[in-house]
Amino acid sequence: MAHPSVFTLLIAIPVLASPLIYLLGRIGKISIRPQNPLAELEPLQNPRLRAFLNSTPRWTALLALLASWGPFVLAVDLFRSQGPQTFFIENIPLRLDGISLLLAAVSLGLGTLVVLFSGPYMAKEPGEEKYYAMLTAMVGVMIALGCAGDLFNLWVWFEAMAVSSYLLVVFYREQPASLEAGIKYVVQSAAGSVLVLLGIALVLAETGTMNLNEIAAAVGPSPLLVAAGGLFIAGFGVKAALVPLHTWLPDAHSQAPSGISAMLSGVVIEAGLIAMLRALSSLTGENGAGVPAATWGGLLLAFGAVNMLVGNLMALRQTQIKRMLAYSSLSHIGYMVFGLGAALTAGQLAGAQGGMFHLLNHGLMKGLAFLAAGALLYAVSGMALKAASAAADERQADDHGPLTVSDLNGAAQRYPLEALALSLAVLGLAGLPPLAGFMSKWQIFVAGMNAGVQQDSPILGLLVIFAALNSVLSLGYYAPLVNAMYRKQPSEAVVQGGAIPLQMSVPLALLALGVVALGVWPNLVGWLVAPAGSALLAAFGG
Amino acid sequence: MTASILILSVLALPWLGALLVWLVGDRRPAWQHGLAVAFSAAAGAVALGLLPFASSEVALRLPFGEFFGDLTFLPDGLGIFLAAVATLIGSLAVLFSVDYMRGEAQLGRYYSLVLIFIGAMCGLVLTSSFLFLFIFWEITALCSYALISFYNDDPKAVAGGMKALIITQVGGIGLLLGALLAYAYTGSFDIALFLERSSLLPGGVLAVMAFGFLIAAAAKSAQFPFQTWLPDAMEAPTPISALIHAATMVNAGVYLLARFYPVFYQVPEWRTAVMVVAVATALMAAVMAVVSNDLKRVLAYSTVSQLGYMFYAISAGGIFASQFHLLSHAIFKALLFLGAGAVIHSVGTRDMRQMGGLGKELPFIRNVFLLGAVALVGLPFLNGFWSKELVLEAGLHNGPAWAHNLMLAGAGLTAFYTFRMVWMVFYMPPAPERSGRHVHAAGSAMKIALAPLALGTLLSWLLVGPFSRLLESTLPGSFVHAIGVIGLIEEVFLAPATYLALAVVGAGLLAWHSRARLGGLGMALHPLARIAQDSFGFEWINHQLVEKTQHAGEHLRRLQTGQINWNLVGIVGGLVFILTWLTWGGK
Repeated sequence: MAHPSVFTLLIAIPVLASPLIYLLGRIGKISIRPQNPLAELEPLQNPRLRAFLNSTPRWTALLALLASWGPFVLAVDLFRSQGPQTFFIENIPLRLDGISLLLAAVSLGLGTLVVLFSGPYMAKEPGEEKYYAMLTAMVGVMIALGCAGDLFNLWVWFEAMAVSSYLLVVFYREQPASLEAGIKYVVQSAAGSVLVLLGIALVLAETGTMNLNEIAAAVGPSPLLVAAGGLFIAGFGVKAALVPLHTWLPDAHSQAPSGISAMLSGVVIEAGLIAMLRALSSLTGENGAGVPAATWGGLLLAFGAVNMLVGNLMALRQTQIKRMLAYSSLSHIGYMVFGLGAALTAGQLAGAQGGMFHLLNHGLMKGLAFLAAGALLYAVSGMALKAASAAADERQADDHGPLTVSDLNGAAQRYPLEALALSLAVLGLAGLPPLAGFMSKWQIFVAGMNAGVQQDSPILGLLVIFAALNSVLSLGYYAPLVNAMYRKQPSEAVVQGGAIPLQMSVPLALLALGVVALGVWPNLVGWLVAPAGSALLAAFGG
Repeated sequence: MTASILILSVLALPWLGALLVWLVGDRRPAWQHGLAVAFSAAAGAVALGLLPFASSEVALRLPFGEFFGDLTFLPDGLGIFLAAVATLIGSLAVLFSVDYMRGEAQLGRYYSLVLIFIGAMCGLVLTSSFLFLFIFWEITALCSYALISFYNDDPKAVAGGMKALIITQVGGIGLLLGALLAYAYTGSFDIALFLERSSLLPGGVLAVMAFGFLIAAAAKSAQFPFQTWLPDAMEAPTPISALIHAATMVNAGVYLLARFYPVFYQVPEWRTAVMVVAVATALMAAVMAVVSNDLKRVLAYSTVSQLGYMFYAISAGGIFASQFHLLSHAIFKALLFLGAGAVIHSVGTRDMRQMGGLGKELPFIRNVFLLGAVALVGLPFLNGFWSKELVLEAGLHNGPAWAHNLMLAGAGLTAFYTFRMVWMVFYMPPAPERSGRHVHAAGSAMKIALAPLALGTLLSWLLVGPFSRLLESTLPGSFVHAIGVIGLIEEVFLAPATYLALAVVGAGLLAWHSRARLGGLGMALHPLARIAQDSFGFEWINHQLVEKTQHAGEHLRRLQTGQINWNLVGIVGGLVFILTWLTWGGK
């Protein structure tokens, strides 16, 4: 297969599948509606056909994402044999390097599992077809975002990601809390977008081009470009949830359906971070002729430290599990940014790889945490019982009350797999070995300390200690959750909870296996992480 | 080749057992008991089988890639010895659990964690990689947390587990720091390489490492000022206490210092710091043991205090004395804890004031417990006597006199609180609460687990010859000299310090015997007792730290106003900060 079409398919399948999913879903739904005269037809009375038509969006979405793995595997193959690729759709430049491959892997992987998980979870929702259409589109858009080769398209994909995720955040549109979260999300994203656009304008004024490679060839050490970089950090930083630009995140992540929370925390904010790095890297210029990478390094280290502390302290007093996990995402963005900061400040490959590895691990662990919390929410909030009951079509608006820590008392007795999965996820997030989070944090700490020794800067050493203390601090809210789940005395909610279907348990088991496997054998994803780290350093002239 | 297979088995057997116990499931408790005993005992046998293969060469190397280094295992005397202690004492604790935990819910979780714990401890002492040392270090912390809070419904157990986890993790940062610095300067995570090339590191960096490791060791071994977690860890099921106190967790700190002593002893003031930590811990814990009425807490304080003696020996360069005392302590403390477990299992309380007169009802337990107590006091000719004398002698020869005197006083206190404990449990007139209540007899698995420990308490000191030769031949540079049984007897009995120590111990016993006549002194010491019961203010400090952090979290919540206007102010503020930093900011 000629290679441009491989890449095109990788982006095109999910993006083009999205309207198809919506269309098929609508047709299916309409054709079995009682008001529809066609519903009287003999074949449509068949309950199996009705069930099939009802679940079209699910299966189409799953098929679309599974189909995308084909071009992904081909792209990996091509990348490993021939290195980074640049290709064009018309004259829009796209490039596939280690970073885009990593982002594609995380979004496609987590997206597939989320679609699988959402089957039972979203089954009784009226807007199911919109959900799957938007979710699939979001996956495709994020893959494209990672491949964008010019600033304008980077911005377009970035906006497309915001739009698709916005619709998913407000999915429970009759709930005021969801709407509030959605409004905050869209307004703050838009504010960030404006800053990004201003930055792009400055770069365009200075260099006359928007192609990242051409910018890199054209830049010099201009203060205007430093300002543009600042605008990029702030603008993309809103989506990447740098403190104090983060205030939309706790609402949006906790109000969205659990599958979407997993996507938002596991990939979307990281995609914002990657967009930021892409934009900044072009300003460094070829052979470091532009703004030196270290200019941004210190800033990223500072944001890393602030994010860790604020995220952990905010999560410490949370009793709502999804909100706690949302705040913990702040601190994990902090770790990534800290590692990347060490990479930019002192050219530490360990930091670049560690940051990218943590991005991947965080996708696994936070995805797992949100999905496991979602499965438990499904079981104890009555969704499961409703799914089993005959009056399944009727839905009440108060289904989606927050899941609190005390709701999960003794959850391990009835839901051993889910409780174990959630425990592994949060202990991994806290950085305990032998779980994935430990390995990437370790790499980040190695980078910080090496950078400190290299630059003879005790401050960097102290920041590493600070980061490690923050990991301990995070145990202050993760550990009680684990303890609660392993109590012998189950909570009322657990006693009355329903069963969790296999389709939801399988993604949990897979992710949990990944979290343990990467903790024991981090090189399992070396082929994905190492090129991403090298690509990042190379882009910043390292 | 054989050595590497044996090393892998020591690690893999407990972990495989953990997996199987978990897979078997809680519906088949008999299988779970059997599997746990079988796999832990097998690991113990393999650890013993590893003894002839002791060497100072790396036996196994698995590459883990850049930034992670190689996973290496070095079966030297120190490592094998501690692995043997972990697996053998550990398997006796598992065997004891068969009776103690019979009929408990969630046995799968219990045994899996115990087996993972034992395996991780073996990994910790056998690996020669800083990264994996840290990994195993953290896994033991994780297991101890999960086991201490095994009874999750009890808020005290949860708090105790959290405390152990957080304190040892904070200390672990010292180890992390040291490991990262070693990597930054030597470009490798290999411990053996670091010990060889420590001169590559600037003196200041080496000092940071040395003190970082001291912090880590003190936190793990519950030494001053981190001693507070160990008494609270008594909420765990009693076999777990035995496991943590004798076989695994707390030995890790002593191991860490002994392992790195050949490099760190040159760091100025490091030895003094270790000595101060050791003396302060030994005395404070002994005083707290005197005033405590909870049987398990008295034992916990005595562990803390005895670990202080081991630290003391290391600070005086007595690596062998510290390890010899570790061996004695592991055996008699496991005996005491398991004996205490049998007592608690029988009477259903840990409060010694509600015991008394149990000697007649539990004769076997009384006999073995008494044996352990005599060894703890350090009376001839049990194992504790010999090792404690070696520790004190090492301190006298290579340390300042003040430290030696204080440690001697600690030995007197040990005698005092130990006999107070034995009297209250077994000989005091039965408490009125207890009258008419039934006392369960000790189970047979309990007795089978206790018997070898009692035998060990009597005889383990006879191993001094092979043990010292093992350490001397495989630990170059740690100042260990082989000594035979005859040599040990000569050394101990020809030293005047021995008689002094025995006199102090005797004085402690006498003080307990004539406690009624010393009433006035007791009253005078009453305020001290009050302070000791409040753990010398360290609990207050812990409490304040936790509270302040929680308050900070609570106050910070106000920043999440939920108002979109303020949110946008945050964005603009962030932009202003970024632009300011870029304009004027340093790097």
